[in-house]
Amino acid sequence: MIRIGIDIGGTFTDFAIWRNEQDGYARIGSLKLPSTRPDYARAVIEGIGRIAEDLGIGRDDEVLVVHGTTVSTNAVIERSQPPVGLITTEGFRDILEIARLRLDKPVDLFNRRPAPLVPRRHVYEVPERMLADGSVDRPLDDRALLAAAEHAVQEGIEAVAICFLHAWQNPAHEIRAADLIRGRFPGLDVVASHEVWPQQSEYERATLALLNVYVKRLMAGYLHEIEGFLSRTLPRARLLVTKSNGGAMSAAEAAALPVHTLLSGPAAGVTAARTLADMAGAPDVLTMDMGGTSTDVALIQADRPTTAGQAEVGDFPLLLPVTSVEALGAGGGSLVWIDAGVLKVGPKSAGSRPGPACYDQGGTIPTLTDAYLLCGYLPPEGLLGGRHPLSADRARDAFATLAERIGESVEKVADAAIAVATATMQARILPFLARQGVEPSDLTLMIYGGAGGLHGPLLARELGIRRILVPRIPSVFCAFGCLVADLVHDAVRSVRGRSLDAPAIREAFAALAATGRQWIATQGSSVTQARHVADMRYAAQSFTVPVDLTDWVASGSDLPALAKAFHDEHQRLFDHADPKAPVVIDELRTRSFGASPKPDGTPQETTAGTASPSRSRDFRIDGALIAGAPVYSRDRLPPGWQGGGPAIIEQDVATILVPPGFTIEVAALGDLWLTDTNETE
Amino acid sequence: MKSARTEIMRNRFAAIAEEAATLAYRTAHTTFVKQTQDFQVALARPSGEFFAFPTMTGVTSAVCQSVDGMIEPFRGDLAPGDVIISNDPHRTRGLVTHTMDIHLAQPIFFDGDLVAIAWAFVHASDIGGAVPGSISPDLYEVYQEGIQLRPLKLRRAGTLNRDIVDILQDNSRIGAEIWGDLEAMQSAMRLLDRRVNALCRKIGRDAFVESVDAVMDYAEAKARAVIGRLSDGTWHFSDYLEGDSPDDAVHIRCRLTVRGDEAEIDYSGSDPQVHAALNFATGGRSHPFLCLALTNYINTVEPSTPVNGGIIRPILAYAPPGTLMNAAFPAAMGNRWVAVMRTYDALMGCLNQAVPGGLAACGAGQAGIISVAWPDRATGRTRVAVVEPFSGGSGARVTMDGVDANDTMVGYLKSTPIETVEIDTPLIVREHALVADRFGHGRYRGGAAVAIELESRSDEATLTVRGLDRFRFQPWGIGGGTPGGCCETWRNPHKAPESLGRIRVVTLGRGDRLRMVSSSGGGFGRPVDRPAGQVCEDVANGLLSEETARSVYRVVLDAGAVDAEATAKAREGQPNARPGDETAVSHGSARIAYEATLPEISSSIAANAVLAAPAGMRRFLHAELKRDLREGRLSNDPLAVAEAVRVRIEPR
Repeated sequence: MIRIGIDIGGTFTDFAIWRNEQDGYARIGSLKLPSTRPDYARAVIEGIGRIAEDLGIGRDDEVLVVHGTTVSTNAVIERSQPPVGLITTEGFRDILEIARLRLDKPVDLFNRRPAPLVPRRHVYEVPERMLADGSVDRPLDDRALLAAAEHAVQEGIEAVAICFLHAWQNPAHEIRAADLIRGRFPGLDVVASHEVWPQQSEYERATLALLNVYVKRLMAGYLHEIEGFLSRTLPRARLLVTKSNGGAMSAAEAAALPVHTLLSGPAAGVTAARTLADMAGAPDVLTMDMGGTSTDVALIQADRPTTAGQAEVGDFPLLLPVTSVEALGAGGGSLVWIDAGVLKVGPKSAGSRPGPACYDQGGTIPTLTDAYLLCGYLPPEGLLGGRHPLSADRARDAFATLAERIGESVEKVADAAIAVATATMQARILPFLARQGVEPSDLTLMIYGGAGGLHGPLLARELGIRRILVPRIPSVFCAFGCLVADLVHDAVRSVRGRSLDAPAIREAFAALAATGRQWIATQGSSVTQARHVADMRYAAQSFTVPVDLTDWVASGSDLPALAKAFHDEHQRLFDHADPKAPVVIDELRTRSFGASPKPDGTPQETTAGTASPSRSRDFRIDGALIAGAPVYSRDRLPPGWQGGGPAIIEQDVATILVPPGFTIEVAALGDLWLTDTNETE
Repeated sequence: MKSARTEIMRNRFAAIAEEAATLAYRTAHTTFVKQTQDFQVALARPSGEFFAFPTMTGVTSAVCQSVDGMIEPFRGDLAPGDVIISNDPHRTRGLVTHTMDIHLAQPIFFDGDLVAIAWAFVHASDIGGAVPGSISPDLYEVYQEGIQLRPLKLRRAGTLNRDIVDILQDNSRIGAEIWGDLEAMQSAMRLLDRRVNALCRKIGRDAFVESVDAVMDYAEAKARAVIGRLSDGTWHFSDYLEGDSPDDAVHIRCRLTVRGDEAEIDYSGSDPQVHAALNFATGGRSHPFLCLALTNYINTVEPSTPVNGGIIRPILAYAPPGTLMNAAFPAAMGNRWVAVMRTYDALMGCLNQAVPGGLAACGAGQAGIISVAWPDRATGRTRVAVVEPFSGGSGARVTMDGVDANDTMVGYLKSTPIETVEIDTPLIVREHALVADRFGHGRYRGGAAVAIELESRSDEATLTVRGLDRFRFQPWGIGGGTPGGCCETWRNPHKAPESLGRIRVVTLGRGDRLRMVSSSGGGFGRPVDRPAGQVCEDVANGLLSEETARSVYRVVLDAGAVDAEATAKAREGQPNARPGDETAVSHGSARIAYEATLPEISSSIAANAVLAAPAGMRRFLHAELKRDLREGRLSNDPLAVAEAVRVRIEPR
């Protein structure tokens, strides 16, 4: 079977290709095409076509395409879709307007809550009421419900979400309401909150249901286009779509529940990083994905999922278990400016349009990428072997005004701007690591994305991270993540306020696992693993800690053993525990996996290869000029080769900067290790 | 390159402070810290001002504080490893703002030189005193608000003074947990010490000190640039905290003077401290609580301003000793926040005149916290839970509508999901929604009121709501905008409505309901200047009635759309706005009626005069003076009123 992983970014659409299951990781192929915004499918179709042609894939070949798409994410961020409606319990019309009350910047006099996805006029209240224990306080008023749906239809609404209070506990009213509407208004697309994610918290649950209906039509259309192409040209191809939890699902599932794709882009990168970390034997890894507009970091620890119970997409909360990624806000497009005499980088960005001045697309304000070029980090002829040219003149013009105001040369100011950007990123990462309770010196930094190779080593030095791993194919690494993603299903049961005994908890987990088994079967596979997690807290606390109970469930232990699992986790995370305090559970979650095959990552014997620099270049770092530093071409560095900084390694769009005092080694699988041998403070 | 070094060091300092705050948060013990993040860890210069302050974790309202009030008693007697502790507002010159906040400070030495001070505080959920939690609006002496620790050395050169720990633990209802939190704060301060020392080793002591100066100068330069853009001159504004009877209100008087790039804020003429927990101590210095509206404004228009004490350098703030906002020992202050909010409103009233074009109308001006107590059947004990915060819409802004349901000044308030409330308490939430037509109208409308209706499923549910205000005096509108609405509360609004007014405690039996409608933000600019399309949107969204659209905004709708012709006709003949109109304030009828018999000037004269009397006599005297002024038995001539005070305090 031939597998193709595809990841769409703002600038490029990336492909990772695994031709044959006998091929190891070292033979994964790649392709990079410019993205075709807003018609993203075009580049995807073109890429698949080219790969099929190059590899001679025909109509009889089995092909698996695993696709990570940001079509839904962009639609939510840009709010580009037609309005949808919300049907909710009487008395709670402002569930979206009030949200969770809080404003994000409390000192800002001009602060405001982001506008809800659905304006107030399209929120329809219906008499009905469930109580917290699932009992009916007031039956559903069928006539009022149908009148609300009719009202929505008259106002031009084509899709509605239903979210009734306590539907997580008893969905009877939501089920009845959805049935009634589907029966009477077949043209109206309906989703009920318990169908999407039945977790307790009405605002977040309503938002999930709304986001789902909001992007559903768009996503279905997009997937239909890709599937249509595949069925015409590669009839034995199957399409999977990646999820925000780092896994994958069938295209049919993605069309029905597109809400699961909203954060799938960065999640696929972390999935790739975890796979490589396992193969390369790096237990604790900080990932750094630096692109034009943002830098994402994530922490990967052996045997611990990189999962958060909640995240954000655009202006909205996403109350789902998703791969936990921290956005730092700085990227290659971050603007360089002067504020009251002080040199600043970001938070504003030139984005992908107009982009950095050196892209020569009309940008005139200096950016970090312009600074890289002026400091000699980027190839003067441009990226992708010159197919993406860079203008040093434009970069110099952009920096000229700043340099004049500061009274230093353009190059010196560019070098200083890079140091400022490093400090800005460090100020965000240190507290992030402190929150996880890890020491930077214990970590390996894994860098990918366009600018990661340049700024990663600089950042590692400041953070005190000694080891850096650059994947063999850094610029299509997220597409590689698509290739290796397992089928992953999450299920939840809210149990806040209930006192469950051990058999009842195990029964609930068994039911969640059964849902997972069924889901994986529907995707055409079978369950290889299930992890059971409880969100637990001390009764007097308001925040929960996820505790892995897989072993507890398997061992058939009692409640004290369950509490002990929580105390131990609390101790590990927060350096203290209170074994006498009562412990409660808010949520039970089960994650089911249907594992996909992974390319072989066994390192092969290598002999120390030799390589010579393809040319040399001056570059500037730490305020000093390094003359005639060697520039290597990545594809000419054989496994086993060793070298040292200062040096530059060039590879399609991902240039790697090797500062003085760093050693370089090409590992057996073709990945690159940099090690900081400078003395520590 | 200095311009780059300043930014690099600003980031370095911020990273150190954030890391320490994160460590403190991770290792703190009490729920309260985890839930409300009512704690902080930061770095101050040896003189006391903060140069590095976290923004991602903990509270940020203390950025412009000074640690000097804690350090000063020990100047010349500081050693590495010393830790100073205090929870005493009066003896730390207002660094501590109520007794529940326990503060710690640790001098940081490098090569024998004092280079910085590590500081931390944590809000203890209980510090002893009259009531659990130590806060009740009715308390009137600091003694009732728990134990007081003046600045004391908790550690000398690292050695713990166990006696202080024992005294602290024995006097709190949750002594052990509090000490757990304080240990977490101390380990965070030790981290600050290590990080500062490492940095000094790396860049040198002199470069460290220079960088500290540079980042503070940077904040100061930003602040000066903003103040420099304000109009030069002097402006006055008054606002009130409400008392329990119609002739009882606490007058807050603010005067703002702008000269070039400096500002002076003076609260002379404000009422004396009150016999309730509403006061706050500011130590006779430019305390951040006296300047919040201005520092928030600076941060709003210049968000790149570094977060440190440099921002307050161009601001001189003053409140006479003995006033509400410079309260003297033994004033109580547990419930001070509503007074801080009203002080903020008064300064905002001045800023509206100093910022060309104005800034914002008044917001709901309260931060009520609803909590419930009920007998728990399973355990037979009383259980207590916080239900929801309760504020109200913010004032309209010069370029946009107000925020619905929450005041910007308390934008950090976060609601609890209704489903959680109904699981955790015996209450059913029957409604939680915005209230149509209930906001100040204007070119920009105020933030709407929020209503909440709670029904008890317990035979006896006792609800308390602290921090409520604005039951009589409406949040003011500006520039032709109308004032916002007042708070209202009822028991059983549907069967036998009983108006409750400002709630302290209310008990509900099974099936009884409590309904509360919040105050709401004032409007900005004239309603007739609001584009008809926006008025039509509000109507379509069910936030405005067609009737109000017609009568207040003079917009005529026909089948949900603007009737352009009829609207033009209805809006015809409205006088054009005149110069000065943009800062005209509309206070609403209750305040007008109150000031008809006791104008602002009379309140100020009475307050100034009564401060001449011994503290113990002021409360009674002040009531008498206000009564006599109101009834015309005393003229509002400062000399006459001063004489009246002199006569009454003379020994007989």
